[in-house]
Amino acid sequence: MTDILQILLIGAVLGGVYALMASGLTLIFGVMKIINLAHPIFIIIGAYVSYWLFTLVGLDPILSMPIAMIVLFCLGIVVYKLIFEREAASARYSEMTVLLTFAVALSFDGLLGVLFGNTQRITSPSYAVEAILLGDLFLPKGQFYAGLVSIALIVALAAFLKFTRFGYAIRATTQNRDAAQLLGVNVGLVSTVTFGIGIALAGASGALISFIFSFFPARHWEWIALLMSLIVLGGMGRLMGAVVGAFLLAIVSAFVGSYFGSTWSMMTFYLALFLILLVRPQGLFGEKME
Amino acid sequence: MNQRQNFDSVLAEREAYNAALAGARRRGGSRPALLAVLVVLALFPLVQLTGANWNYPLHLMLYSFMYIAMTSGWNILGGFAGYISIGHNVFFCIGGYVSGMLLASYGISSFLTAPLAGAVATAVGFCVGFITLRVRGPAFIISSIALLMVARILFDNWDFVGGSNGVSLPRMELPVQYVKIPYYYAMLVIAVASLVASYAIRHSKFGLGLRAISQDEIKAESAGIDTRFYKILAFAISAFFVGMAGAIWGEYMTYIRPNIFLIILVAANMVLMCILGGKGTVAGPVVGTVLLVAFNEFFVSQFGASQINILGTGIVMILALMFFPNGIVGTLRRMGKLPRILDWD
Repeated sequence: MTDILQILLIGAVLGGVYALMASGLTLIFGVMKIINLAHPIFIIIGAYVSYWLFTLVGLDPILSMPIAMIVLFCLGIVVYKLIFEREAASARYSEMTVLLTFAVALSFDGLLGVLFGNTQRITSPSYAVEAILLGDLFLPKGQFYAGLVSIALIVALAAFLKFTRFGYAIRATTQNRDAAQLLGVNVGLVSTVTFGIGIALAGASGALISFIFSFFPARHWEWIALLMSLIVLGGMGRLMGAVVGAFLLAIVSAFVGSYFGSTWSMMTFYLALFLILLVRPQGLFGEKME
Repeated sequence: MNQRQNFDSVLAEREAYNAALAGARRRGGSRPALLAVLVVLALFPLVQLTGANWNYPLHLMLYSFMYIAMTSGWNILGGFAGYISIGHNVFFCIGGYVSGMLLASYGISSFLTAPLAGAVATAVGFCVGFITLRVRGPAFIISSIALLMVARILFDNWDFVGGSNGVSLPRMELPVQYVKIPYYYAMLVIAVASLVASYAIRHSKFGLGLRAISQDEIKAESAGIDTRFYKILAFAISAFFVGMAGAIWGEYMTYIRPNIFLIILVAANMVLMCILGGKGTVAGPVVGTVLLVAFNEFFVSQFGASQINILGTGIVMILALMFFPNGIVGTLRRMGKLPRILDWD
């Protein structure tokens, strides 16, 4: 019983982090219908920002998270303006944008490799190696804090989407781009800013994972299929779908990992992705994908 | 009566149009030139008799032939049918492992087992396609990445094939100046076969169906094309050539290991070469491969590190997608300036 509770606890905490990693991806897909294969490389860039701030200045990764967000927000806007904006009129939009994000991922992968090499890195604030004991249960502090901050950020994002005018505009564009434009939403601006926010969220999750997972530039290929499985399970473009998908799969993979070994816990996500695409491509809550 | 005539003439016109689309329309002229190129390529290894060491040029050429075969294979699914796969090197890996394990266990040369390796890749492609081709567009691309990840975990942890350390293969006993020549011819044969198959598919009813699918799948389906069967068949055929190339490449490298087959750069190269040359054209993969191999060589000789190579590949891909989405062959054809020697369709 304690074992099961322990696994549930770890799974739930990781689920929060995964949800934050996937939130930007699903937001960008919702508004622009871009499947951003470059999302995980932006997470890794965020992790590097926190890593260097911690190593050079000694700034705590949780405190440097806003800096990572601002840096990545600007980077996201630049990338969107340079590359994706002009694709809006393309006849084969979805295919072109996926390939472009793939190319962007490859470029940044190479760039980070040139700058920092392919060594594994991890930030090590003091709490990263400590743990909280709750009776028989054991909770690593680093994962706990990362999970809490992630959930707080997702709640803030949900509130932003729900209660602000700009949030309305984003949701309207997600539901029906043409209708939103007819009603006077500046769809171009919404797209640009949403892309920035999505990448900023990637940066935030990068700062948080910098002390719970070791990272190196090429690591992002493992994560893209993982994040995709989360948002496909929940229904693409839906924030709550991504959150539910993240918690479900994180807990399942925690069980798989503890019974069959950690290699197979990653396999959970990939097989889940196949299974969902096979049985219910629109996900739990989504409408059918084109 | 008049109506009847009208109907007949429309029918005749449509048949002529269909024949022009699907049939072996040929302006002539390029075939002798291409044969001449082929003869030169077939005789090229004779330069080894001059005594100078030509092993590196031979290596580059057989490497190019390999990518021509793989990219042409990829093109059948990605170019003709419009289904982009970023996990196609899984079949490269399967081909390499089938032939490699047969060589390591029973000593049968990969030259004999390559067709078998291709057949196994085809069978796997058929099964995978059966599952993943139920979805289209972006969802298919995601599923192809998932396939790559699944394959990587399986091969890294499969003890029978040596896990992530792989298996080393016996080396062929040949004098050093001839050591590359068998592989050169094997890759040349596979590359030519893949191009002939591309040409044949493009000029068949099957190819026409694939192009219809890439334009508008729902309309293609309602026009009576068995889209599901066509797509799966295209997937299986494209896996065949990639698998054969993998079989020869494994023996050439003298070891099989997941991280020579299942790295993302191999998949990226296939996609990029095809897009750069021209998706959906027969000559595109050749043009793209030659350009990208030359570009990679330049990068490696100037800067050395493979990380810069990844960066360069990515940037070239962004620029190609933004400014030449139809590729070199496609863009030139649209402008009406395609040289006859590259007009293989």
